[in-house]
Parts: sequence; C-alpha cells; structure tokens
Amino acid sequence: MRSFSVVWNTTIIQKWVMAITGICLVVFLLAHLSGNLLVFLGPEHMNAYGVELREMFHGAAIWVVRLGLIVALILHVLSGIKLARLNRGAKAVRNDKVEHRTSTIASRSMIYTGLLVVVYVVYHLAHFTWGVAHGEYYHVVDHLGRHDVYRMVVDSFHQPLITITYVIAMIVTGLHLNHAISSALQTLGINHPRYTPMLRLAGPALGMLIVIGFLSIPLGIMFGLVK
Amino acid sequence: MELNSNIPSGPLEQKWDKHKADMKLVNPANKRKFKVIVVGTGLAGASAAATLAELGYNVTAVTYHDSPRRAHSIAAQGGINAAKNYQNDGDSVWRLFYDTVKGGDFRAREANVHRLAQVSVNIIDQCVAQGVPFAREYGGYLDNRSFGGAQVSRTFYARGQTGQQLLLGAYQALSRQIGLGKVTQLNRREMMDLIVIDGRARGIVTRDLLTGKIESVLGDAVLLCTGGYGNVFYLSTNAKNCNVTAAYRAYKRGAYFANPCYTQIHPTCIPVSGDYQSKLTLMSESLRNDGRIWVPKKHGDTRKPADIPENERDYYLERKYPSFGNLSPRDIASRAAKEACDDGRGVGPGGRGVYLDFADAINRLGKHTIEDRYGNLFEMYERITGDDPYSVPMRIYPAVHYTMGGLWVDYNLMSTVPGLFVLGEANFSDHGANRLGASALMQGLADGYFVIPYTLGGYFGQVGPSPLPSYDAPEVKAAEKMAADKVQSLLSIGGKRTPTSFHRELGTLMWDKCGMARNRKGLQEALQEIPAIREEFWKNLYVPGTGEQLNQSLELASRVADFLEFAEVLVGDALHREESCGGHFREEYQTEDGEAKRNDDQFTYVAAWQYNGDGAAPSLHKEALNFENVHLATRSYK
Amino acid sequence: MNLRLHIWRQAGPADQGMMKTYDLAGVNEHMSFLEMLDVLNEQLLNAGEEPVAFEHDCREGICGTCGMVINGRPHGPIARTTACQLHMRSFKDGDEIYIEPWRATAFPVVRDLVVDRSAFDRVIQKGGFISANTGTAPDGNAILVPKTDADHAMDAAACIGCGACVAACPNASAMLFVSAKMGHLSYLPQGQAERSTRAMNMVLQMDAEGFGGCSNHYECEAACPKGISVEFIARMNRDVAASALFGRD
Repeated sequence: MRSFSVVWNTTIIQKWVMAITGICLVVFLLAHLSGNLLVFLGPEHMNAYGVELREMFHGAAIWVVRLGLIVALILHVLSGIKLARLNRGAKAVRNDKVEHRTSTIASRSMIYTGLLVVVYVVYHLAHFTWGVAHGEYYHVVDHLGRHDVYRMVVDSFHQPLITITYVIAMIVTGLHLNHAISSALQTLGINHPRYTPMLRLAGPALGMLIVIGFLSIPLGIMFGLVK
Repeated sequence: MELNSNIPSGPLEQKWDKHKADMKLVNPANKRKFKVIVVGTGLAGASAAATLAELGYNVTAVTYHDSPRRAHSIAAQGGINAAKNYQNDGDSVWRLFYDTVKGGDFRAREANVHRLAQVSVNIIDQCVAQGVPFAREYGGYLDNRSFGGAQVSRTFYARGQTGQQLLLGAYQALSRQIGLGKVTQLNRREMMDLIVIDGRARGIVTRDLLTGKIESVLGDAVLLCTGGYGNVFYLSTNAKNCNVTAAYRAYKRGAYFANPCYTQIHPTCIPVSGDYQSKLTLMSESLRNDGRIWVPKKHGDTRKPADIPENERDYYLERKYPSFGNLSPRDIASRAAKEACDDGRGVGPGGRGVYLDFADAINRLGKHTIEDRYGNLFEMYERITGDDPYSVPMRIYPAVHYTMGGLWVDYNLMSTVPGLFVLGEANFSDHGANRLGASALMQGLADGYFVIPYTLGGYFGQVGPSPLPSYDAPEVKAAEKMAADKVQSLLSIGGKRTPTSFHRELGTLMWDKCGMARNRKGLQEALQEIPAIREEFWKNLYVPGTGEQLNQSLELASRVADFLEFAEVLVGDALHREESCGGHFREEYQTEDGEAKRNDDQFTYVAAWQYNGDGAAPSLHKEALNFENVHLATRSYK
Repeated sequence: MNLRLHIWRQAGPADQGMMKTYDLAGVNEHMSFLEMLDVLNEQLLNAGEEPVAFEHDCREGICGTCGMVINGRPHGPIARTTACQLHMRSFKDGDEIYIEPWRATAFPVVRDLVVDRSAFDRVIQKGGFISANTGTAPDGNAILVPKTDADHAMDAAACIGCGACVAACPNASAMLFVSAKMGHLSYLPQGQAERSTRAMNMVLQMDAEGFGGCSNHYECEAACPKGISVEFIARMNRDVAASALFGRD
C-alpha cells in the first residue's frame, strides 16, 4: 500500500489541501468581517464583542479558532509555495510570445498576492492583536475599562498612511480571492454544466464583497462616516 | 516456388474452427522463450503486440512515430463492420462474407473472408470490454448505421472517430503490456531492412530517427503491420509518413508482392485546391447516408448550386444505380464522379468536383439531427474549404485512399518468407480488388486480435524454440551495412532537387497513368518514365544535413527511393491484368455502359510478384482463386 | 500574401537555439499552415539551407502529431483547430507570425519545433487502460451503457494527445490530458473496477514526469483542439481524493 507521504505529496492532494484550507480562511474572513462591521453600530457593540471573543468558553474558543487558523494558514502557504516552485520548474523555458485566453492577472499571480497577504497579516496582527505596531492606539480603554477596540480602529484609520496600507492590502487580497474561491471549488471537484457557470461568477463576486466590506471600515472612518 | 495458401480443408463454415483445433500449441512456459518483433503500431500492430504479450510471448514493437498512438488507423472516420445482426435486419456471418467477396469483385480468398466475417463479432465484444465508447441507443444498446455496398445496418461507430477510438483501445492494451514489461516499445525507429537467416525471418534493421544509429533487432518471427502504399501517388488520404519501405524491403528479401495494382479510390474527398497541396482529406463515406450526389445536367454550368433548379441537376448515382443509389460501393461511385467530370460537368475550380448535398436531409430531419450525425465532419470541411456545408453543398472528388494489394500471405498470414507474417493493410488477403467501407478496421483488428495469436503459435509449435542468432552474424552485419550505405548514398548525391519534388513528379505520373482508370498505352509509358525519374533522383537529389541527427529530408528521400522502385511493380501488375475489376479499371475492358468487365476465365487468380534483382523483371506467380461457395456473378448495384 | 515568419531554430537537444526570421512571399489563403511551412522548407532546401523540422502526419486533425505555438497560442488563433487544419485565410498580407515549439520541462525540444512527448505514453502505461485480455469479453450488448454516459466518455476520449494543453498551461500541467483519459474510462461501466487504482497511478506518474500542478487557469480548455472540458479535471480531482482517502492499493 502506498504510504501517506507519497499520496500527500501528489499535486492533486496538495491542491486539495490548498482548497480546503483556503475555504477555511474565507469562512474566517466572513466571520471576521461580520464582527468588524459592528464598528458601524458604535463603540458599545464593538467593545462588547471584543470582550465576548476573548472570554467565550473561558477564553478557550478563541484559541481553538486561532489554532485552526494557524494550521490552515501554514498548510495553505506551504502547499502554495511548494506548488508554485513545482509549476515554475515545469515551465522553465517560456515562449517568446504568449497570448493568454482565459487566465487572468489574478490567476497568474496567486503566489505573489498570497505572499503579500501573509506579510500584511503579520503587520495586521502586530497592529491590532499584539499592539506592537502603532502601540499608541492599542493601549486605550473605554469607560467600562474594556479594551477600547472601537477607539483603536477609528484612531488608527485617521492616519492616512495606515489607511493607504490597508486599502492596498485589501486590493491585493481581492485579487487573490478573485481567483481563489471558484478555483477551490474546481479543485474540490465541484463542476457541473448546470451550475458551474454561476459559480464561476459567484466566486469573484464573493471575493469582491468581502473586500468591499473590509474596505468600508477604513474608508468610512477616513470620510467621517464613523467617528 | 509453388504458392501454397494453406487453406484448411472442409466446409467453409468450419475451416477456421477446424484449423484452430489442428494447429500446434506452445505451452505457457515456453511462450516466453519466443521473441516476436512487431513493426508498426496501428490497429493490426498494436492489437497483435498487445495480444501476443498477454499470451506470454516477448514482444518488441517498433514504430517510426513518436508514440504508438499516432498510426494512420486513427484517421478512419466511419465505422467498423460486424455481423452482429443487432438490428434484426437479416445480417449474418454469411451475408457479411458474401457482401465482402462481392464487394471485392470476386478477387479475394473465400476462406479468409469467411474467417474475417466470423471473428468480426468478437472484435466488437473485445473493443467494448476495452472501453471503446461506441455510439449507443438511449436504452444503452449499441447503435449501428449502414455503409456503402451493404443493405443492412452492421456498422458500429464512435461519432466520426471510430478509427481513433479503436486504435486508442489497442494502444491502451499495448500500453498496459509495456507497463508490465512484456512489450519493449521502440519509438522513432524506421525499419530499413528485413534480416533472413537460414531461410527464416529473424529480425529487422532499424534506423533511430533521432540519432541515425543503425541497429538490428533479432527475434523468432517478424510481423509487418506497416499499412498501405497509397502515397506512391503522392496525393492521397494517407498520412504524410505512410510509405512502402518496410513491405518493399521484405519483397526484396523474398516476400512476394500480391496484386499491387488494386488501389482504392475513395469517392468522397475534398478536391485539390492548388499545387501546394500536400495531402487530400477524406470526408467519411457515412455522409452518403444522408447526402445526395449530383452535378449540373448542363456542361460548364457555372451557376451557384442553389441557383440550379431541381430538374437541371443530375443525381447520377441514384439514376444509374437505383437500388444502391448514393450508397454504391466506392469504386463505382468514384468512377461515376470521374465520368461526370470528364464529361465537362464537374464543379468547382478546374471542374474536378461533384456536389454532395445535404439540403434534402436537413429539410427532412432538421439541422439538429444532421449536426448530431456529422457535426465534426461538417466542421472539418468548413475549416479546410472555408464553405459552410449546412448552406452550400460540399464539393467532393475521389482520391487515393486504401491499397487492397500487399505482401502475399497464406491463410496463416505468413508470407513466402517463413517467419515473416503480414497483417492489416500491408497484406493483400481479404478485400480482393475493392474494399467495402468499414472493413479496413475490421480486418486490421481481426488479424491482430484473433488470427495471428493462433497462427503464430502454430508456426512456433512447428519450428520450436531456438537460440537467437548472434548480432554479429554475417547476415545481420550485411543488412546493417546495406542500410548504412543507402543513407550515405542519399546524403552524398549533392544534386539540386528536393525529395518532395521527386515524390510529386512520381505521384502525378502514377495518378495520370495508373489512377482511377488505366489503359495499356498509359501503363507502358509509365514503365518508360518511372526509371527515368529514378535515374534523375539518384543523380540530382539534394538532402541537407547529416545522417546522425533528426533529418526529415533524409527520411523522406529514403522512402521516395523505395516508391520509385515499387511503382514499377505496381504498374507492371496493372498492365498484366487485362480485365477490369474493383479498384482496377482498365479502359479497354468495360461493358457498353461503362461498367467494369472482369475476365474470370483468365484472371481469377492472385498475382504474386517475386523480386529477381535490381533491373530484372519480377516474375509472376499465380494463386488460383477457387470459389466453391459463391457464384461468380457480374457485380451489379443497379 | 507575403508574410514575415519568426521561427524557433534549434539544431539539437543540446543546442541553445534562437528565433530566426524568414520572409515568405506568395502564400495562398487556401493553404494549410503546414503547407505554408512546406513551401518555406522547399525554398530553404533550394537555397541549400536546412529546412525547419516540425512534426506532422495525418494532416486532418486527428493523429495529434503536429503542434506548434503560433503567435503565442498552441495550434494558432482559431479555436478547436489543430495546426494542420489551420488555414492561411486566418492571416492577412504583411502579418508577422511567431512559430515556436511546445514549452514544458516534461517535453524537451528535440529539434526546431519538434518536442519529445513520450511522457504522455508513460502516464498511459501506468493505468490509462482497462485490463481486458483479448478473448475474455462478454457480448457487446451484455454491458449496457446509458447514452449520456457513452457521450461523455466519447467527449473525453476525443483527446488526440497533441500536448497543446501542456503548452498552453502557464504551469505546463498535464491535467487536461490525464483527466480526459481517466474521464473516458471512468464514465463507462467497464472502467469501474480499476477506477481508484487508475486515478492514483496515473497522477503519480504525471507528477514524476515533471508536469506542473493545476492552477485552474483553464488555458488548456481554450487551447484544446478537441474542446475537452475542464469538467474532467474536476472529476479527476474527485477520483484522486477518493483514492487517497479510501483506496487500498
């Protein structure tokens, strides 16, 4: 019988790993986004949500999710790098003239957008989770003595440089998601002439929606919709 | 040498079964002591190599292609016949046998044809088991259609790609054996010569097309499955690389060449469009199921087809052959097209074309049904000509397609060189003077899957295992040297003309003088002109590069050199056969209404030609054809 | 029409190779693309130069032997058309045409436009078949195949093994080729017995040959002269995953 590692390392199983972990990350993004949008409801909701997150099941929930996300992200990145290197080796010499018909800038730059998103995630964690970057906005508490998530977000995005960084990061993420979602479905074998044409539109649409949702926060703050 | 066809005795229906029971067997442990060399990996070659390996023989399969999947069997479009009678329309082994003998204008061996009809049913079963995606009815049962020369629906098909699907089936079976290590596959190797030691075929000389290395492969038997020689006409429906070299080299080593003049002209090909034309494309004969063939009644009518009213059209096949109409056999339909064009009623540039019109069928069945049946063929036609056959009738003209002639073989498919077997189109055995549609695939697979596995065992049982000859044997070294010398001499002529220019010159001559219709004067002229072209070839040929690399000009030159010799054998045969039969139409021998006139008293035989040395005329050996079961009738499709 | 051709010339596998430019006059619109190259080659030969090596055989779009990248697209600009079926009416006077070989590490260049595609054969040898020895078969109608399944199998089986999918893929992935063969056999009842082992065996060999992975660009489908759908790739993905999870070989 074939060993686990032989099967695990086939391109197709690696793609399955990419797809499944990728879908986990998209689901996380949706949850993350719905939490973040509380910012539009004001500091009360936002800060209560922050506390709830940290204290659910005596603080276990967040760590279970975090652990899952860490594993998913690591697997996603590792298989991405592995496949990208393999793909590059498989096409070591390219034609002088290449005309693309169906691939897009998004689909051809997945490894780059993916790696940029990783860099961004580290920055984003340093900013909002660890309080290492821009610590001055992190260490604030509200009138109930809670970590003032709302103030932290609003104050941060009053800084044009930070906002621009986030906007760029979201555009890069958008590019990644533009191809990622429908691609993952194809990798998971979900393809049928009855619904695949729809899914091929739905993937990029969902990606776009996520990006717009996230962008609404810094832009909303910058343009004064959130104070 | 006396030709012995080794046809088993007994009633026709029992000959094959009796023969199988009588033949010697090789026990399973001994099979691996025999090495079989299969040259060519088309339907016949791939099916034979796979089946022999399954039985336990050691097989080496050789092809000049980059992969065994490329052979020209792949291009067969229409289908494969089998006497299954799934349609309940009165088909039987006997009827398929009779149709084939009659279609071949009574110039084939009864026993061989009957065996072919018998095993035809097994072929379909085998192919289905392999996963060939034959067309199905909605209930899941196999579908059939009718084909030229038959009044029953017995043709199995896979869209317009039947040959491709059957070849892939055989290729996959072969690939499985390669993967299992039972077949050694040699790609990009051209057979340059046959090695005969102590009167037995013991190997071949090959040239590696990438490195130019001349190398021998030795074994206990050689199977030539190398296809037909239609490219002697330069323009044909054959693939560009099809050639006569393997068969011709075997002929020079003592295998007799039988009936080379039986060449089939296929009626439905896309006409020539210019002098750059490199090959002709066939439009499946199945199109004649729904298409109607016509020309204008008026001479030199240049109106658009749509502008020609119904009563000014001549549906000449329906008029001349009312019972078969547009489904008349190939030779008849081809000649009728030629007559119409010779009469000045041809259409299209140069007036060498007739219409194949689907307007009636589209009106009757709807465009959708026609698209379903022939969509890919219509697409192909449009790509090549730029015309849309849904709105404008196709223009077609006959072209060289298949060669019924080939190396002479006995009932066991063995040539006159012991140990040299010939399968598929490369042999002469089953189609007589004309092949019916959907029979080539049947014959190739019958030979490979169901005949050679038995008869080769019979041969091995007779000769017994023996050590392989030494690769240093004088016969081996001499054959290798000859091959190397040939390459060297082609490279060192240093003349001005390209191999293609000679090929085209020869082809034009052959088509003009020995094509769809032949006459004594033309054939005699051809016999004068061929040696002249050959002489010029060896004086004025230019082949660039070296022999130690991939050199396509060299490959072509080597093949053309053999065509230039072989053409003479073909023309000589056509001259000697003073009758018209099937694909061989001699203008001197025709009935008053222009039909072929056989001469059964004098020519009911197979003409097998023996090589007597360069420059010497080949000698003729006759194998009498005895018709004990069918009555020799004038072929009528009226 | 008159054309300017830029053609990849490479004397042998070890040679560096480079693009060379040729002017060709008097090209007829009814010529096939390969006939246009024939004319060029006759000209080169008459001038004592080495002709351009390119592979071809049937010239009717079925053998899969020909293949070259024409203006950045495998088999040229017309969809569902092999190079041999491409006609010069698709070009116009004064056009510049770039003609290059398939590019993939698994398809090394042999000479000029000729590449070695034997990797495909080795993938088939690992499982692209139904193990049915000659003589074992039951009656053809004993195995019923629903028409839609037979049609699907035929859609996949139409693959001609030309390698355009690999050439078109930015990753030089062979997924369309491999999935077409797998799909052909897995749509048929006869192909079920070996379905799981076939899937894994073929994929392992595909990887071993050095083809890239699939990034779902779908360039293969657009380049395929037989229009084979990437639906078969999805099907293969399912089969391979099932084989990995549940297969016992």
